[in-house]
Amino acid sequence: MSREIFITELDELQQEIYALGRHIESTFKKVVQAMNKGEKAVLQDLIEADEEVNEVELKINEQATLMITKQQPVASDLRHIIVCLKISSDLERMGDLSVDMAKAYLHMPSNQAYQAYRPELDAMVSKVEIMVRQVMEAYDSKDMLKAQQLAAMDDDIDQAYGKLVKDLFRSEYSVDQTAQLAFIARYMERIGDYCTNISEWIIYEVNGKRFDLN
Amino acid sequence: MSINSLQERPSREEATVTQEEAREAVFRTEGLNLWYGNTQALHNIELDQRANEVTAIIGPSGCGKSTYIKTLNRMVQMNPIVKVTGKVYYRDQNIFDRKFPVEELRTRVGMVFQKPNPFPKTIFENVAYGPKIHGIRNKKLLAEIVEESLKGAAIWEEVKDRLQENAFGLSGGQQQRLCIARCLAIEPDVILMDEPTSALDPKSTLKVEELVQQLKSKYSIMIVTHNMQQAARISDRTAFFLNGEVIEFDETDKIFSNPSDKRTEDYITGRFG
Repeated sequence: MSREIFITELDELQQEIYALGRHIESTFKKVVQAMNKGEKAVLQDLIEADEEVNEVELKINEQATLMITKQQPVASDLRHIIVCLKISSDLERMGDLSVDMAKAYLHMPSNQAYQAYRPELDAMVSKVEIMVRQVMEAYDSKDMLKAQQLAAMDDDIDQAYGKLVKDLFRSEYSVDQTAQLAFIARYMERIGDYCTNISEWIIYEVNGKRFDLN
Repeated sequence: MSINSLQERPSREEATVTQEEAREAVFRTEGLNLWYGNTQALHNIELDQRANEVTAIIGPSGCGKSTYIKTLNRMVQMNPIVKVTGKVYYRDQNIFDRKFPVEELRTRVGMVFQKPNPFPKTIFENVAYGPKIHGIRNKKLLAEIVEESLKGAAIWEEVKDRLQENAFGLSGGQQQRLCIARCLAIEPDVILMDEPTSALDPKSTLKVEELVQQLKSKYSIMIVTHNMQQAARISDRTAFFLNGEVIEFDETDKIFSNPSDKRTEDYITGRFG
């Protein structure tokens, strides 16, 4: 076997993406927990901590660029690196969206509406959590079937989001609560979309073909 | 729902296949086997060289790349222990047919070698040599051929004021382009290149690569190279040889982005070879 150092570097890059994915999953969970408990200080801390994610993404970009420059990869090696770049960017956006949820919550003058719609929100949260976890598992094991299954879950989240927004239009709560709540649901729905994006990249990495799962 | 049932975005290659396929084959190799004594060096080769395209042949040392292209001008048969079966058609004529004169074949199929091999003559004489042995004596015509050939090989500007100097005074890169000019002077149809840049520095290599790109509008080119980036940069189609077999032959974009055979993938990504 030749190019062992390069192959090790490719593995390390994948591990960094995986770790970033787990971090994003954890941030999402922490934001939801803090919103549920009304812990505004925790939400503020989580907003500030997002800068670290941006730095990790930049580091991954730099490493990937250097690998392309120095190793001139082709075929599956090149796809591996391109997909790392794409997924790290999608993960960074997912991190931003979790933080945007926290910001929207902090803009709400009261959490009455939030608590009233907890069952609908909780249902969306649990689906998003499964998607985020499953997409990273699919990435780690290059499991195309698992990646593909996420499309159906994303459809469920889209429907739940649509229904929640309709309900919010008819709700008795003030617009400054319902609008922010709609944003929170929207950001969750977008996180689901990014998961399907990542699924498409996993399929591309494995077989070199692009599929539209959205 | 299976992966295949999902709507696939059409790739660029697929969209242009019809146009590509319409190109005629200058060389068509069918079931070519070749032995050096008892050792079989080529196994059932099937390969087309299309007109006005660059075909790259890649593969590890000893895989039969050079043997294959030397078969196309029958140079390989100068070795008495070589035995060949199968067919190679040059413009629909089997080159192994006794009625096909080998001199005619070599006039139509020029070759450039790994190491520049100018004759120990002047720059002018190097290029004029081929046309002269084909009977051209008119000095004005010879001068025109020399100028055109040197221009075609992108070396005219560098040598136009020193045509009477010995070719050995040129740099390696210039000597190689002179050899290409010498090849162009006999107006070939196909140019075979056997690792033409492996003895050259990076700048000369780039010049020869650019030249190959320019030449394909007039000629069909087959190039053996150990430099995979070179194959990816300059060829339209690439054949991967391994142990005397063609493992994969496809559009270069496909070979270097998503090859079909794992052995090709492993070779081009540096897993072996």
